[in-house]
Amino acid sequence: MESLDERKEKIPHLLENLMRTIIARLFGRSPIPPLQFHMSKVAECVQKVDDLFSALNAGDYEKIKTISEQISESEHAADLAKDDLRNDLAHGVFLPVDKTTLLTILALQDSIADKCEDIGVLLTLKRLELSETFKDDFQQFLSKNLETFGVAQRIIQQLDELLSTSFAGVEAEKVKKMVDDVAFKEHEADLLQRRLLQRLFELESAMPHGTFYLWQKIFEAVGNLSNLSENLGHRVRTLLDLKS
Amino acid sequence: MGTESVLLGFTLLFGVYMAWNVGANDVANAMGTSVGSRALTLRRAVVVAAIMEFCGAFFVGSHVSDTVRRGIVNPEIFVSNPLFLAYGMIAALLAAGAWLQVASYYGWPVSTTHSIIGAILGFGVVIGGFRAVYWHQVGTIVMSWIVSPLMGGIIAYLIFTLLRRRIFYASNPVEAAKKLTPWLVFSLFFVLTLVMLFKGLKNLNLHLPFARALEFATAIGLIAALVSWPLVRRIRAGVAPQRELEIQPPKVAKALIKAVKNLRQAQTDSSGETHYQLTRLLSEVEMLAKTAQRGMEVEAGGDHLKAVERIFAYLQIMSACFVAFAHGANDVANAIGPLAAAVDVLKTGFVAMEASVPIWMLALGGLGIVVGLATWGWRVIETIGKKITELTPTRGFSAEFGAAMTIVIASKIGLPISTTHTLVGAVLGIGLARGLGALNLRIVRDIIVSWIVTIPAGAILAVLFFYVFRGLFG
Repeated sequence: MESLDERKEKIPHLLENLMRTIIARLFGRSPIPPLQFHMSKVAECVQKVDDLFSALNAGDYEKIKTISEQISESEHAADLAKDDLRNDLAHGVFLPVDKTTLLTILALQDSIADKCEDIGVLLTLKRLELSETFKDDFQQFLSKNLETFGVAQRIIQQLDELLSTSFAGVEAEKVKKMVDDVAFKEHEADLLQRRLLQRLFELESAMPHGTFYLWQKIFEAVGNLSNLSENLGHRVRTLLDLKS
Repeated sequence: MGTESVLLGFTLLFGVYMAWNVGANDVANAMGTSVGSRALTLRRAVVVAAIMEFCGAFFVGSHVSDTVRRGIVNPEIFVSNPLFLAYGMIAALLAAGAWLQVASYYGWPVSTTHSIIGAILGFGVVIGGFRAVYWHQVGTIVMSWIVSPLMGGIIAYLIFTLLRRRIFYASNPVEAAKKLTPWLVFSLFFVLTLVMLFKGLKNLNLHLPFARALEFATAIGLIAALVSWPLVRRIRAGVAPQRELEIQPPKVAKALIKAVKNLRQAQTDSSGETHYQLTRLLSEVEMLAKTAQRGMEVEAGGDHLKAVERIFAYLQIMSACFVAFAHGANDVANAIGPLAAAVDVLKTGFVAMEASVPIWMLALGGLGIVVGLATWGWRVIETIGKKITELTPTRGFSAEFGAAMTIVIASKIGLPISTTHTLVGAVLGIGLARGLGALNLRIVRDIIVSWIVTIPAGAILAVLFFYVFRGLFG
């Protein structure tokens, strides 16, 4: 049985059927809020990567397991958001940005979440310990990667303001600067990664082969966070209408 | 005498019904953009639309009405049987009205104008014969249906591009917008006055040659611009308390999120007074966590853009008036054109048309539109306004400017075009200038299909109704 309220709600709906609301039907759903929503889910994953290493530092392996599972959950939520957006872009929608670029940005965001999940899995494979030899370097490297991602996230957050200036003008210049910033931070992360690898190879003979290999994989995965963030920034840059 | 009176009654009834239909549905599409961008409240939009639609219909409505009345089907063909012309025109009104009801029900983007032209064409060809139709004129009208959305789109695109270059590229967008405002006001008033005055206002026995009209238009444009100048100066940039939100390190946001989690746990497990207090606390901490997460989002830049949009909200009130005026001038013909033709025949018994459409008919049409707006149109405006949430005043202004300019020019030349389709073209123009989040191109396909379907549908219905009338009245 429908309640009275439900029926009342249906009345305007019925009336709408008798209206010629042509102009309203011209306006579609902007892809930018869903893209930003997806990015916020990705950011949840990235934040948990930080927690993951804090737990490792504390030697709390149970926590590592739970956090790793949480990352998987967030990654799944991001996937749902991604599908939602992709379906919206199916066809017949005209966007202020190149659709392929938009999908590439979405794919990049998605792979960041995937990387986070990978890191989570890698840490649960084996009981690892942060060696004193590279502990500090690793912490720096991790923060730099998170920082780089942070800028990429802010770039995505700028997209709605960019739309309001139609991807041009002062706002576009601002985003361009942020993209430069991402690229610079990624470079810094690269340098840190090089030093970190040197430290790791210092331990080559003292470390079991499996552990050695695992750490290498972990560094690679963490380093990918900044690499992907940089790519993301460059993709957004192609959307801008810059002077000259 | 009896039959004529009954027919006259029918004509007026259907004519007013058609005007009501225009006011109920088409005005909403013209005004919806202003409500959607929040430049106008619903109440104001209705008042503005009522006044401007009536003025447009009354002052400039005669041109298009005349085209519909005797520019499509040659009335001379019916000299030997004048009543046929009256039947045909009444049938056309009824056919268009019926077709619009069907189209509304199924949600087809059908144009009032296309329906009525299709209906008149149909009865003209079937009853009067192929030669009864001014094909040359029909060709021009059909061309104008293609050209008007294009032109609306191009003008809107150009205006919006101008705004981008002048305002969004400026280091101080608010100042730039203030500088640009008088120019925009000038061009708006200039065009509107020029169109009104040049060879117009026959109703008021005011004939102005082009040079005089130009002078008048320039003068009025200048006055309007001068008035707007100090007004726009007064609008504050609105940067009042420079809320440069200091960027918190990510740790802060994270800690707050954890706090929210713990609080939520506590809240679900608690009861009574504690539960209530926790609920309050939770919402507060949640807010805090959100702001900390957003960090840089709130910035001076956003405030500037908001101030620009505020300036354009005022400009959009003007463009909305312009659109309503243009719409009244063009669409009143859909009701009054056929009505005038039929009434002439019924009153005199001859196919001898008066030089121009009588004023009282235009006033009747304008009134019909206003009544349609007051009884049903406001609902449609409200619905449309709710659905268009992404349109900002800069976009709305540009789109309305492009559409109104096109419609008002078409009205002056006497071309019955679809105002809604022109506005669709204008909005697409803004989309091409990268001004809108997403546009549904499927509606464009639907519009093209509806063009193709509406003409024969209107025609067939009109012929059907014609035979019904002839059967009833001989």
